[in-house]
Amino acid sequence: MQNPPHTPHAGRPPRLGLPHLGLGVGLRNQHFDYLMRNEPAVDWFEVISENFVDNFGYARRVLERVRSLRPVVMHGVSLSVGSTDPLDREYLKGLKALAESVRPAWVSDHLCWTGVAGVNTHDLLPMPLDEESLRHVAARVRQVQDFLGRPLVLENPSTYLEFRESTIPEWEFLSELARETGCGLLLDVNNVYVSAHNHGFDPEHYIRSLPHESVVQIHLAGPTDCGRYLVDTHDQPVPARVWELYRLAQELTGGVSALLEWDANIPDFPVLVAELRKAEAALAGHNPGPAAPAAVAAFEAVSNPVGFRLAPER
Amino acid sequence: MSAERLSTLQHWMKTVVTGRGGLEDKLRAAARLHGLSADEVVAETRGLSSRERLGIYARGYVLRLLECMRADFPLLREFVGGEVFDAFARAYVITRPPASPSLYDLGADFPRFLEETRPRDARLEASHGAMLELPGELARVERARAEAVRARGTEDDPAASSPPSPAEIFGGGLTLQATPCLRLLELKFPLVEFVRDSDRGGRPDPPAPRRTLVAVGRADYRVQLHEVEPWQFALLQACARPASPYAAVSAAAREVGEEPGRLLASAAVWLPLAFEFGLLRRVN
Repeated sequence: MQNPPHTPHAGRPPRLGLPHLGLGVGLRNQHFDYLMRNEPAVDWFEVISENFVDNFGYARRVLERVRSLRPVVMHGVSLSVGSTDPLDREYLKGLKALAESVRPAWVSDHLCWTGVAGVNTHDLLPMPLDEESLRHVAARVRQVQDFLGRPLVLENPSTYLEFRESTIPEWEFLSELARETGCGLLLDVNNVYVSAHNHGFDPEHYIRSLPHESVVQIHLAGPTDCGRYLVDTHDQPVPARVWELYRLAQELTGGVSALLEWDANIPDFPVLVAELRKAEAALAGHNPGPAAPAAVAAFEAVSNPVGFRLAPER
Repeated sequence: MSAERLSTLQHWMKTVVTGRGGLEDKLRAAARLHGLSADEVVAETRGLSSRERLGIYARGYVLRLLECMRADFPLLREFVGGEVFDAFARAYVITRPPASPSLYDLGADFPRFLEETRPRDARLEASHGAMLELPGELARVERARAEAVRARGTEDDPAASSPPSPAEIFGGGLTLQATPCLRLLELKFPLVEFVRDSDRGGRPDPPAPRRTLVAVGRADYRVQLHEVEPWQFALLQACARPASPYAAVSAAAREVGEEPGRLLASAAVWLPLAFEFGLLRRVN
């Protein structure tokens, strides 16, 4: 690597100059009725971009109300920025049109590939991490940023395998990517926890090694213990260790927007807000989480759950 | 690693995740296609084998898409039972892996898949053979509703959706067009009541086969099914492009072999309802 990953990027403002929005949650259809009748007790919302591209139904109306009340961020799951297939221009056009309409505070997706050979697995698949894949991803991030006319913010995924041919740790890969392209980072501290457990690295070292001025946002979630590995299920309270990593990340970044993800067995909105507000206790040094994630049989746990997908309203 | 190698690794993993059969079948297919084994590609750490690690992705792929299919076709699942539905949905996602970046497109081809894989046994009594067509027809209805949920409606344009007066219909100057959320279905079963009862949590008996014409529309964000007459169906088809009431009625009359004059009187009564149901709108 030419530059140490922890070297501050000269002249770059914190969070790429993007705002610190406070504490937010994902916009989910289970909460539509509540949100149409109540003022949301959160600072901002994250919407799954693909739920709203070419969607002119009730969900769009709810989004319009929500964005009239609070800032909104667009978070995608299908950019497939790491794939060796060509970038999907139609997808990008839809994303850009949505961004022009919604005017989000920023647009994010994941460091991953979702498919190849024209197939979209709808999973966030891990990248082989080396100099070639870094060049490949960096070139595509630049293309996306040029097309959208704004910086892209990329999230570290939870992963369950590493490629033998990988030569760069994920934290260095992301750091170099941010340095080369000017993209922002969405630091999912739960994903760091899950991947660190599954691959045996130190999660605190991961977080300390990132360029903190490039971190725009933090994700929080609760994973599932499958016995010999953890799965990123987004379906339960945030465990104590993830709150510790959250506190560390907030200290190192100087404070960035944080969002609680909950995508399966989604609780009522007030319960979700109560879980989110634990972030304040965590920063005050009172760890509010359960000691360990809940355990289930491995065959029941599905990573990257699709509860974020809006079920058809009748 | 070269660019070519990166591509090979991704194609290899795609085969392992989305291929047919159990994990060993997938690995054999990936080895045959790309000349790589699990141990050559995936690092083993913390006592988890390469196969266990790949299994997390392969298992998650099917379960994730299955969950989406269940959400998209709840009535069909209720009708055929969870086990049968899952078997067909699994076969569907493995046979036709998704290509679209949107999960909403996942079930688009499922009705056709059910029709193409429907048992066709000449020894079955006609009534039994017909009943095997019901799941595919129900899937068509559920898919049409899902599309109507997301398409453009007229909720943001009250002027376009205000029902026309008789004077407008007969007097000229009114141009009709189907709403973008309109879906027209020619069904082999009368499913409107069946779906309505099922939506309310009932377990209605399957209806006997009968050709039925259905318009799926949306008004005030509520999607509803409407059984329509052949001339109404033909009129809605004629309004795929902007048309005057007379032109639309004339096209419908030709289609069903009626006198345009007789249909125009019926249309004057029905057109305001078609606006209220979100089937038609007025355009400039």
